[in-house]
Amino acid sequence: MTVTDQADVPTGAHDVLPHRKDVRERASADEPHRRHGLRMPNLHAERLRSSRTSLGTGFLGFAATVSAVLLLCFDVTRFAVEWPAYPLPGFAAAAWLLLAALLVVLALAARTAGDVLDSLVSIGIVAGLGVVVALDAAAVWGAGDPGRDLTAAPAAGFVLLAMVGVRSSRSITAAAGLLGLVLTALVVVSAVQTPLPADGPADAAAMIGRAVLPAVVAAWIVHVFRRIVSTELERVLVASTISAPRFSVGMLASEELARLDLAAEQLLDAVSTGRSRLPLNPAAAQAAAELATELRLHLIEGRRQTWLYHAISESELLGRAVTLSDPDSLTGLLDPKQRDGLLQAVWLMLGDSPERSRRSATRVTVEITVGPAAAQEGRGRTMHMPIVVQTSGVARGRVDPATWDAVRKVGRHTDSQRAGSLCVEIDCVVDRPADR
Amino acid sequence: MERIHKQRDRLLGIAARLIGLTSAGASFVLLALGDGRPAMLLVAAPGYLLLALALARMGSSKSLTWPVAVVVLGLATAVVVRLGALGVLAAVTGAPSGSPSHADDAVRLLVAGAIASTGVVLTSSLGRMIVLVGAFAVTMTTIVVLYAADAAAGSGAALGLAAVTALAGWFAMVVCGAVLSTGLLRAARRVSSIGRAHRSERQASETEAQRRQGARLLHDTVLATLTLLAHSGVGVSREALRRQAGDDARLLRQLRLSASPLSVHGGGTGEEHEGAGGTMVKSDSLAAVRTRFEGLGLDVSWHGAGTVTLRPDRLDAFLLSLTECLENVRRHSGVDEAHVTITDDEATVRALVTDNGVGFDPAAVPAHKLGFRESIVGRLEEAGGIARVFSAQGSGTTVVLEMPR
Repeated sequence: MTVTDQADVPTGAHDVLPHRKDVRERASADEPHRRHGLRMPNLHAERLRSSRTSLGTGFLGFAATVSAVLLLCFDVTRFAVEWPAYPLPGFAAAAWLLLAALLVVLALAARTAGDVLDSLVSIGIVAGLGVVVALDAAAVWGAGDPGRDLTAAPAAGFVLLAMVGVRSSRSITAAAGLLGLVLTALVVVSAVQTPLPADGPADAAAMIGRAVLPAVVAAWIVHVFRRIVSTELERVLVASTISAPRFSVGMLASEELARLDLAAEQLLDAVSTGRSRLPLNPAAAQAAAELATELRLHLIEGRRQTWLYHAISESELLGRAVTLSDPDSLTGLLDPKQRDGLLQAVWLMLGDSPERSRRSATRVTVEITVGPAAAQEGRGRTMHMPIVVQTSGVARGRVDPATWDAVRKVGRHTDSQRAGSLCVEIDCVVDRPADR
Repeated sequence: MERIHKQRDRLLGIAARLIGLTSAGASFVLLALGDGRPAMLLVAAPGYLLLALALARMGSSKSLTWPVAVVVLGLATAVVVRLGALGVLAAVTGAPSGSPSHADDAVRLLVAGAIASTGVVLTSSLGRMIVLVGAFAVTMTTIVVLYAADAAAGSGAALGLAAVTALAGWFAMVVCGAVLSTGLLRAARRVSSIGRAHRSERQASETEAQRRQGARLLHDTVLATLTLLAHSGVGVSREALRRQAGDDARLLRQLRLSASPLSVHGGGTGEEHEGAGGTMVKSDSLAAVRTRFEGLGLDVSWHGAGTVTLRPDRLDAFLLSLTECLENVRRHSGVDEAHVTITDDEATVRALVTDNGVGFDPAAVPAHKLGFRESIVGRLEEAGGIARVFSAQGSGTTVVLEMPR
């Protein structure tokens, strides 16, 4: 992220920041009995992060499990019908029983685990599926037509399908791919020993496809779903900045300030009660100096930063792609409706379509330049200020039409193509700031 | 809400495309493996190709053209495959060899997968559902026509299987679309409630930060004390420093625990009362500033008025700047004596801080230097006052602080 509206912060800031943790630790180490009393303001962020992975996929996972069970019922019927044809039906029956047991384990574990299945449990389930495949292969080995005879082994793919809601799409795809490889290997080895019948290759392909494709397709769909939801979440979190005051401190800075105050309080308390002896040893003195510097920085910070700065710095997606240049902090003057429009337009220009790959998403960048405000003539209540949104990698014709509605909320605009990419110049009318 | 509907349509489109393309691909692979005639594949290939193109476009816009194209092209391809398996196209493709079961599988994948995938995107409005029912009816009719010959010959199994598979496939796709769109709308509701919670969290944190930043006098004394400690407290009476640290720690604790903004006027010597017009007027005897420097090795002589009366915010800024001036004298002037003269008239309160120390060149203070610009000039101007500095190297410093009433 690059935000360049902070030219006034002393250049020493960056030398100091890495020590921040030490300062806190040293300060609180002086006073171990107090530590449990610390307020932990970052709980909120963690709560958000955990809900980000789970939102709504429980419902999808349930639907996937139901369809997996239906497909399994169909297959187990097929197995029952073909029972007499098996050389070793006992093994195949054991494979089916194990498969059913694994499905029950999965259902129970997914219920108790909540949103994300424990890695150990899922590895156990996949290993169990390996055993299912082995048993089923043993049951039909030598019959010479694995594509037609294997039943429980391809059905293992449906258990993977039932897992899409509780595991990452990538791991489901990997497991399904592994299953496909194993089944292919079985078919090949069997074909080498006993030549396949005429329909053998087609049957084998159908069997492997039925095992692998449902899980892979479902995993992909759930992946898209998760991306849409997490983008929505990010949007909503960022949108909370549009009601912020003209200058604001931001969530992170305010937590940081509270922490610094606490560290200072503990340090001073230690001095006053005599636990830290005067004159202080060099390490403690150094800690005090760093604390003072940081505290000073945090006290002046926030009076120059606007909602847009916070929106960009708090969002992973925006932070990667958006550069803001607002030396006079003019974006703070925009009213909530204009802010909403500007944010929406930027989101749309970045192309929040989920099918866009991560790679191409990083190629699109947006550069927002605000001001300088038009010279103040007269004593009108409002003033004009220009906002230039220069994009790179965004073709004018491919922009979502909703972008223009969003831009219109900000002000009158003209758009042009600069260096092959869209550039929008917006003329905003804002209330003249009361002070100065 | 409009945005989430857009995202829902996007999700449904992607799901439909994925399912459709996968089924069409699988169908073609089955046909290639099960029916050995290259000519048959060549005849069927254009149908598959066009179907894949239509599938790839489906769901990318609201237009109904592509789902309809998928149904038409899919059915045409299914007809070609089925006729090829029956040997009707023998003149072009050569007579069918091997069992026709794979061709049937390929047809079933087309009608229950590739064509049925339109069901995912055709449930979001009434008009679309009408199209859906029409498409389903056409598909079922085509199946019946395709397999009628078999059924007439007495083996209805192929017709039955194809019809049941198609029914199951279409049903599954419609359910899939419904599940995805319900799931997304549910998630969107939760997201927006998280958003509301986040907004109030942000407001709370903003208020909290402003409260802390607003407690500037407190932070100033804390910063000064920390700075003393940073020099290991050398040159200051230990007792005084300890007492001051204790005071500051107490104030910080108060700030942490109390919910209301703090205003600090050390030692409780200030008095507050409601002034005329409801404005809060504070009178402070400057005692806080005085006591502060008593123990720190700076001898301050006070002249003029013993109290200042100003609006609270102006008083804060005024006292802060004054404290900061004296702190500068103590730290940088090289002398241990300073004079403060307070005068006030109807319009302004004025403080004159003088020392006979080393002095400095005000023009040479770098703009980014925090101490002087930020904590004296900036602070005072923000509250409507003015600070002026008269100094030169080697000839002492005089600072005039002015604050209108």
